[in-house]
Amino acid sequence: MTTASPPEFVKRPTPVRKANRAIDERFGTQAGLRRNLNKVFPDHWSFMIGEIALYSFIVLLLTGIYLTLFFDPSNTEVIYNGSYVPLKGVEMSRAYASTLDISFDTRAGLVFRQIHHWAALVFVASIVVHLFRVFFTGAYRKPREVNWLIGVGLLILAILEGFAGYSLPDDLLSGTGLRIAASIAQSIPIIGTWASFLVFNGEFPGDNFLPRLYVIHILLVPGVLLALIGAHMGILWHQKHTDFPGPGKTEHNVVGHRVFPVFAVKSGGFFMMVFAMLALLGGLAQINPIWMFGPYDPSKVSSASQPDWYIGFLDGSTRLMPPWEFRGLGHTVPAVFWPTAVLPGILFTLLALYPFLEARFTGDTKSYNLLQRPREAPTRTALGAMSISFYLVLWISGGNDVIAKTFSISLNAMTWAGRIGLIIVPPIAYAVTKKICLALQAKDAEVEHHGIETGIIRQLPSGEFVEDHRPKPTPVPDHPLVTNDRFALPSANGHGDGDGKGLARRAGKAVSGFFVEEKETGPGGPSAPVGGGKH
Amino acid sequence: MSDQTGPGTPGPAGSGGGDQPGDSAQERVHYAGYQGEPADKSDQDSMSSIFKRAKHPVDTSGAAVGGSGISAGGPDVPAGTSDGPEVLGTPPHQTDSTRDPETTVMRTGDAGVAQPTYGTHAGGGGGVTVRPPRAEDVDRRAERRAERLIACWFLISVVGTVGFVITNFVGDKHQAYYTPCLGSALGLAVGGLGIGMILWAKRLMPHEQAVQERHEFTSAKEEIAVTEAEITAGFADTGLARFPLLRRTLLGAGTVLGGLIVVPLLNLTNSKPGKKLDHTSWVKGARLVTEDGRLVKLGDISIGGIETVFPAIPVTESDGTTTYKPKTDVHTKADSTTILIRLPPGVDRPRKGRENWSVDGHVAYSKICSHAGCPVSLYEQQTHHLLCPCHQSVFDVLDGCRAIFGPASRSLPQLAIAVDDDGFLYARNGDYDEPVGAAFWERS
Repeated sequence: MTTASPPEFVKRPTPVRKANRAIDERFGTQAGLRRNLNKVFPDHWSFMIGEIALYSFIVLLLTGIYLTLFFDPSNTEVIYNGSYVPLKGVEMSRAYASTLDISFDTRAGLVFRQIHHWAALVFVASIVVHLFRVFFTGAYRKPREVNWLIGVGLLILAILEGFAGYSLPDDLLSGTGLRIAASIAQSIPIIGTWASFLVFNGEFPGDNFLPRLYVIHILLVPGVLLALIGAHMGILWHQKHTDFPGPGKTEHNVVGHRVFPVFAVKSGGFFMMVFAMLALLGGLAQINPIWMFGPYDPSKVSSASQPDWYIGFLDGSTRLMPPWEFRGLGHTVPAVFWPTAVLPGILFTLLALYPFLEARFTGDTKSYNLLQRPREAPTRTALGAMSISFYLVLWISGGNDVIAKTFSISLNAMTWAGRIGLIIVPPIAYAVTKKICLALQAKDAEVEHHGIETGIIRQLPSGEFVEDHRPKPTPVPDHPLVTNDRFALPSANGHGDGDGKGLARRAGKAVSGFFVEEKETGPGGPSAPVGGGKH
Repeated sequence: MSDQTGPGTPGPAGSGGGDQPGDSAQERVHYAGYQGEPADKSDQDSMSSIFKRAKHPVDTSGAAVGGSGISAGGPDVPAGTSDGPEVLGTPPHQTDSTRDPETTVMRTGDAGVAQPTYGTHAGGGGGVTVRPPRAEDVDRRAERRAERLIACWFLISVVGTVGFVITNFVGDKHQAYYTPCLGSALGLAVGGLGIGMILWAKRLMPHEQAVQERHEFTSAKEEIAVTEAEITAGFADTGLARFPLLRRTLLGAGTVLGGLIVVPLLNLTNSKPGKKLDHTSWVKGARLVTEDGRLVKLGDISIGGIETVFPAIPVTESDGTTTYKPKTDVHTKADSTTILIRLPPGVDRPRKGRENWSVDGHVAYSKICSHAGCPVSLYEQQTHHLLCPCHQSVFDVLDGCRAIFGPASRSLPQLAIAVDDDGFLYARNGDYDEPVGAAFWERS
């Protein structure tokens, strides 16, 4: 019988057991350790998106540390004398010169700089996709609203951190971005001028501004990010992960893999995969070639200058903004204030408050651990689609000059299309999405009640025609039903399946396996899914 | 894998067999892990032994009714049933047992095909799915193949690491191959390990479906009452309610101390805004100089041409002569950059009072966009429009650089220029008559 008695206390411990016991004597770890190692994490591909964000953050930390060893965040002007010939003898800040040195004269400098930049893009991107997943499945509902708030904070900080990062090299592109940032700071009513002067240490471009930006980029924001990520994970750990409904899954349990060993090894593997992807991108796909932009010069700008993707929507909103500047009583509220300070303020506030708004308007104060499919909450899904379409119109408008040039469209037409689109596309997205959700619900209900249409028309003895309906199929399991049933092979000579002794016997077995290894079989009948899904 | 029997070996005869319609020797499911203690809340206080645990709430009864192999391992089997291949782990630590959530682990058997339990509606709800066995569970050669494959990926990782080290030290960092090779090698090094680890977890680690109870987060009413009472009592002990003077001075002191945050904030700069944004480096008589230090003369620019110019400040030397010192540092460029355009004769429509601000079709406007401060650097010769590449504001040069499209709402400030006896262009009125660049609160 397989019912096992409790394990014996090992009297002569191995070194690992010894270490475990030494720690336990001091901290009493065993129960907690076992509880945490046995923690169950559910399995779904969409749960990995947040992991990608976490792993790219780790890659950012690792590559960032390497870059700090070589980067010199100084505004001091020097004459470049490195190995990049086109810029030899050009006057530039030490920040820009040291970035050139990292790119051309430091071993593995460029590859780590590019990995760092790619990781930043992937970091923000995976946060956004993770946000979509959490939003559309209702994972933010009680009791997880606090983690939603932390997540929104992480998104905002990640965007700020990314902006600070790509502004550090002091190249033409990033300097232009900083100039716009200074103008935005200036545009804030009442405190704007002071804010801009305090941040930049004087009138733009300020006095020794880069060291401050550097401290923000490598200490302040990453520190807060790290703390918030810790809180995000800690709350997740404590509250346990949500899961999709499925066989045997209820509001009161988690079904999946325990942390040790499967989840830990898989997650380790996923981290390595994310790192590998970023390494390949950093090595093979050039990004932010600052040597092509030249050092920052306030009198110059390159056309089609685009920020990193996560700033694009602000660029777009700035471009679409009509020239509405409010003047009066000796004061001005510039046009740039609305699309760059007010709009993101409203957007992120709404985003942060959404769980509370939804709970308030639906009156739903219950706790949930099971996720919803988007169609099950049509209004939420429609609101999400509306928000995404709003964002996309802004984002596309952020590159409207490039689109206009590529497709030979008038730039003014692009701007007007964006302005009008920003107003009419979101409601359309809302209406269409809601209709789709309701239609899918109706379809589900119909299949539930009547079964699936077969297309077979039968005539009853009474002369009546009816259509055959097949009953609703069994719920789809969360693993693939690939039939790859392999059964124990007889050895080639029919003498059992022990280890072959000779080469010929093994070869014979292998060949026979080639012919008969795959075999259709199924004790549960032909329709029963048999065999192992490779997972 | 160690707890699994070898491939092809039939499972223990009694394990879940007997009641099975199929090939019972091939159907076996491990039920490993432990069931620490009752899931049922009412039973939690009893510190009951693991053998007195309540039924697991996960409903695998559908499977049980169907008589499949999985149900034999499922928690729905009443405690004490002897034919379940059930493995009970160590009992949980005594002190911890009441809080320790229950984890139940179900494993696919190592031999044969398990009947999937999904979709069984009998018994109301269906049980937790246990995956059917993989090839690796059934066929030792598949297992070996998987092992070899995984080892192969681990070795590829080593190759990548070695490649990275060699490229790093031996490679020439000025060659084009250097960075791509480093990236690929690093990708191979990390990715090989990653793929290997994922395959390892998926192919060789036993399939399991672990079921764990969730906590109820809400505390018991009594617990809440006690906690609140204790905090209330503690607050009463502080005396903040009884001593209003203490309370008010504490609040006051805290607020004043909190106000200290202003000090480091204001210390961030010694450069107060004042009127700095209203002025640029242009002074009366400053000549127009290009970036490479050439003073601009009338006739240097052809019709339709443009030139970006900066101030060259007149300095009176000790011998009384005047020299012009170009100012082209970053700070000057940030607000004094000016674009000089030579328009065809007769097209300019100067504003009132600015009729003599231009010389022979030469007009000078601030190059700093009145929207967000980017340099307005694209000039369309045919339409005489200036375009800012940052946010596509368009300015009509003929109409005093009025903003005609895009988010900019103000014209670019115009610099009054004249020509001196030597033919050089200079700023006749000194600075711009309004602030250049982006607007701000104090700007009227």
